Order: sequence, then C-alpha cells, then structure tokens
Amino acid sequence: MWQQVELALSQSAHRALVTLANFLPGLLALLLAVMILTAIGAILAALLKRLLTAIRFDERLSKNSLVPLDWAPSHGPTLLVARAVFWASVVLGFLIGISAFDAAYAGNSQMSFFLLPYLTHSVGAIILFIAGTLLARFLARTVLIEAVNARLQYARFLSVGVKWLVLVLTAATVLDHLEIGGMVVDLAFGILFGGIVLTLSLAIGLGSRDIVSRSLEKNVDTEVLPPDPTYKAQPTAETLRHF
Amino acid sequence: MASSPINTATAKPDTGSLVGTGVLIHLSTISPDTLELTLSNLAKAFVNEPVLVAIPETAGANLAGSFESLRLLPYTPAAVSSTPWVHTAADYLNTFKLAQEHNSPACVLLGAESQTMLPESIRSLAHGTLSSPADLVVSHYHLGAREGLVNSAILYPLSRSLFCASPRFPLAIDVGLSPRMAEHLATASQRFTAANQEDALLWPVSEAATNGFKIVEADIPSRVAPQPATPDLNTLLNQILSSFFADIDARASFWQRMRSTVPPRTVTETSVPSEQFDVTPMLDSFHLAYSNLHEIWSLVLPPHTLLGLKRLSVMPRESFRLADNLWARIIYDFVLAYRLRTINRGHLLGALTPLYLAWVASHLILVQSGVAPEQHIEEVAQAFETDKPYLVSRWRWPDRFNP
Repeated sequence: MWQQVELALSQSAHRALVTLANFLPGLLALLLAVMILTAIGAILAALLKRLLTAIRFDERLSKNSLVPLDWAPSHGPTLLVARAVFWASVVLGFLIGISAFDAAYAGNSQMSFFLLPYLTHSVGAIILFIAGTLLARFLARTVLIEAVNARLQYARFLSVGVKWLVLVLTAATVLDHLEIGGMVVDLAFGILFGGIVLTLSLAIGLGSRDIVSRSLEKNVDTEVLPPDPTYKAQPTAETLRHF
Repeated sequence: MASSPINTATAKPDTGSLVGTGVLIHLSTISPDTLELTLSNLAKAFVNEPVLVAIPETAGANLAGSFESLRLLPYTPAAVSSTPWVHTAADYLNTFKLAQEHNSPACVLLGAESQTMLPESIRSLAHGTLSSPADLVVSHYHLGAREGLVNSAILYPLSRSLFCASPRFPLAIDVGLSPRMAEHLATASQRFTAANQEDALLWPVSEAATNGFKIVEADIPSRVAPQPATPDLNTLLNQILSSFFADIDARASFWQRMRSTVPPRTVTETSVPSEQFDVTPMLDSFHLAYSNLHEIWSLVLPPHTLLGLKRLSVMPRESFRLADNLWARIIYDFVLAYRLRTINRGHLLGALTPLYLAWVASHLILVQSGVAPEQHIEEVAQAFETDKPYLVSRWRWPDRFNP
C-alpha cells in the first residue's frame, strides 16, 4: 500500500514539475517581451521628445491650427506624442508576450485554456476599475460643487453617496468581468446599490422638503393672481447685479 | 511698449461736428421693440450728420424714412450670437465686415438697451474713435454699489494689473473701434467662428493692450445694463471667467513683461442705498463651502491662503472682511490652476463661486460701514498690482514657488 502511495505522490510531483517546467518558459518569454519593449518604448519616447522639442512642435501646432488649441503645460502635444509612443510599445510588448505564452502551451495543457482568457479579462478588469474610479471621483466632485453652490446642507453626503454608487457599480462590473463570485456578487450588488439609492432618496426627500413646499406655494400664488401682460418685475433694493 | 503703461485717457463729449462722419453704428443686439427709440436717440446724437446704422434684418428696419440723417443698413448676420447681453465673436466679426464694406473711418458697437443712453454718451463714443488717435474707446458706466460686481471683483483688477490697462469695464458693451482695432478683433473672432464658437467672448482691452493700441474711456453717466437670460451665477461665472482666464493664458508672454502700474484713479461718488443689504445667504454659502470644498481648494490654493480662509470662516458677521491681498492671491491661484488644469476647469470655476460670494459680502459690509465703493475697488485693484510678482513667479515656476 505504501508503495502505491509513494507512486501516486511521485507521479503527482512529476506532473506538477513538468507543468511548471512548461509554464516557466512561457512566463519568462512574456516578462522578457514586456521588459524589452518597455525599454525600447522609453528610448523611443525620449528621442521623440527631444526631437519635437528641438523643432518646437508645440508652437508650430498652435500657430498653424485654425481651431484654438488648449493644452495644459504638463499635457502638451510633445508630451502626449511621447507618452503615446511609450505606452504603445508597452502594449505591443504585452501582445508579443501573450502570443509567446500562448505558443508555449500550444494546446497540450489545460492551463492555457484557463490562464490566457483570465489574463485578458484581467487587463479589461483593470481598465474598468481605473475608469470607474476616475468617473466616481469626477462625479463626486461635480455633485459636491453643484450642491454647495445650490446651498444644500447635505452636499457632502450626496457627493459621497454618488461616489459609492459608482464604485459599487464598478466593483460589481469588475468581478463580473473576472467571473468571480457569480450570483453572490449580483445579489450583493443589488442590495448595496438599492440601499444607497434608497438612502440618497430619503436624504434628498427629507432635506428638500422646504424647497418643494416653497416651490408649491409659489405656484399656488401665481395661479391665484390674475396674469398681467404689462407687468414687469422691477428690481428691488435687495437686488444684486453681478454683471 | 513692453514696459510702459498703456496710454489711456477719458474722452470728453464734444459738441462740435464730427470730422468725416460716416461713422458706423452697429446695433447687433437690438430688439424690434426698442428700435424706434434707439434710432431717435441716434438722430439726436448726430444732428444733420449722416451716420450709417447697421441693424440685423431680424430687428426690422422699416423706419428709415423717419430719421433722415441716419442711413440704415439692414444686414444678414454672417454669424448669429445667442448671448445678447454681451458682445461675442460673431458681433465683432459682423462689425468689421460692415465697416470694411462701407469704408467707415470708425465703428461704434452698441449693446442691448442702448436706447437708455444719453445722446451725448453715444456721441462721445464716436468722437473718441474719430477725432482722437484712439483705437479703442471703452465705456465707463456709473453703476450703483451693488451692480457690476464680477467686474469690480475680478475683471477690472485683473485687467488693470496684468495688462496695465485702466478701463474700469473691460467687458463694456458699448465700444468705439478704429478700423485697425476692428480688424484685429475680427481676426481674433475668426478663430472662434471657424470652430463654430460664435458665442465665444472677446476681450478688446487686452487685445488693444497687447498690440500697443491706444485705449480711451468714454463717460456713460446713465444706462440700463442688460442682464443675462440665465440667472444662475455659477453658469455665468463659468462662462465669463473661463474665457477671461484663457485670454490671460494666451497672452502670458505679454503681461509677464509688463512691470508698470496704472496711476491711481480719481474716485467718483457712487450712490449707496440707505437700506442694509442682507449678506447672510452669501456668508452661509461661504461657510457651507468652507466645510465641504476645503479638499478641493487645497488642490488649488497654497497653505498660507488656506489659513487666511480659515480665519475668515470664524469671523463674526459684523467684522467679516476678506482682505484685498488675500482676494488677489486667491484669484491669481485660480488663474494659475486654470492654466495648469490642476483640476477639471468646470470644477475649478465652480469652487470659485463661494469665494466670490464671500468677497461680495465683505465688500457690501464695508460699503455699509461708510467706505466709498469705488474707493474699495481701487484698493482691490492696487492689491492686485502689488501682488502681480507672485503670479509671475508661480506662472514661471509653479512647483518651486509655493509659499
């Protein structure tokens, strides 16, 4: 019996080592491709930046364009081109690396079926996560500033609510994209999203009671008064004119 | 030119006849209701002197027979502006085209509600352009203490300190233009109209200052100022200031070299309403913003300015006072953040609104305490001039210079 156990263990270890031996060259090829292309990209970007600065690319572009171009100093056309070249090289490195990785597992291993789609899904998930986070921050700031300018006392609460709505949505999308969690994620997302929406609705509803009642009172007042076509609102002493 | 102040003066109303006449009066934003009144005003301003009056066809121009001295020129605008309370790129472009077509020696662009102006005022605008060697005649309105506050708080002090130009109303809606000034403005307008931005604002004062043109002011003692259709201050501030800050950014190489200051203006008396204005909503808005927008302000403003705002937030209502140099630095930091795109530009200008309201509240409290409004506005403008090196330093080395 012990012999059988030993045999089973040695065969299992052998299989694992063979799999690892097959896996490592592919991984090494992926890493090498990414590193080499990143280095090439960095060199190309640096050269391009020097060249464009030497020929005053930014100035020429703004002079020759019909449409007024509006660049921030830290995001000028030269920098944009240099960065585009760098990141294009990095992406190319990934593509070459993944192809090499794929070639190393040319249909003779179950791992390629599992790992490769997961790798591509991971890239998509990372992009989704970054986009979602940026969108959440942008919307949170927009809501906060607008709410403060509208003099809403619960401005921060509203802003945080919107931020978490987008973050929860992003997290659910990312997990769904990675096929993690299955039904649990859907259920948790539904509960969280619904909860946040309900909380925000209650907060806005309770907080803006006065505004709504004032608005309704105003409507009632205008309905009671007979409409006078010659009436023109006169500026009162209380009027401020900003312009 | 680079280091001398822009030559400005005040055009005096002239009762003599206009040399050459043929001045083009462009009523780009006239409405059919006010056309007759406006034309009658113009007829009084230019008695027995032929004047070309350009009117958009939409305003209706069937009154030509009633005003013999006026030659009406109905025209189809090449580009239509949708903001009649202020002149846009489309208006300046149309003015130049009309002036060029009729070979006018000078143009006067009158804004909406121009029927409320005195004939002498219109005449002084035309005269300033024709008889004196001025390229730009800018109206100097006599507004009340609670009017034109964005102009007093931001546009005038910034325009004066950066471009060394003294016009009190850089965004005046009644201006006189020499042919070369009109041509320059039309060239600037074409960059916007080519991109379908007919409603883009132009800044004639900075355009004239940059090109070394002579600017004079014409006194307009009375006039009803047209008000924007949208009452939302946030939207309006965004529209006006984004255009102004972009203009400042575009002319950075010019104003960084300007070292001189404008001589102090003689302060005129302004009527101050006897009744107190309730500044509480504005102060509430500032306090609410201080507790919520501090994080956003800290991305734009240096620690010293934030400390000033902290002190301001705990000041009692009676002694609420936004110091002039603090206000100047706030505006300079926002101009810089606009240039650097530190945060989204819409967010940036939205975050400025409560600070502007704090300035308005501080100004009104000061006025109610007996200080002449114009005196305070002059002090604000001087504070902007004094702190100009701060902006220049931060503009050149935004990361290194952050006191």
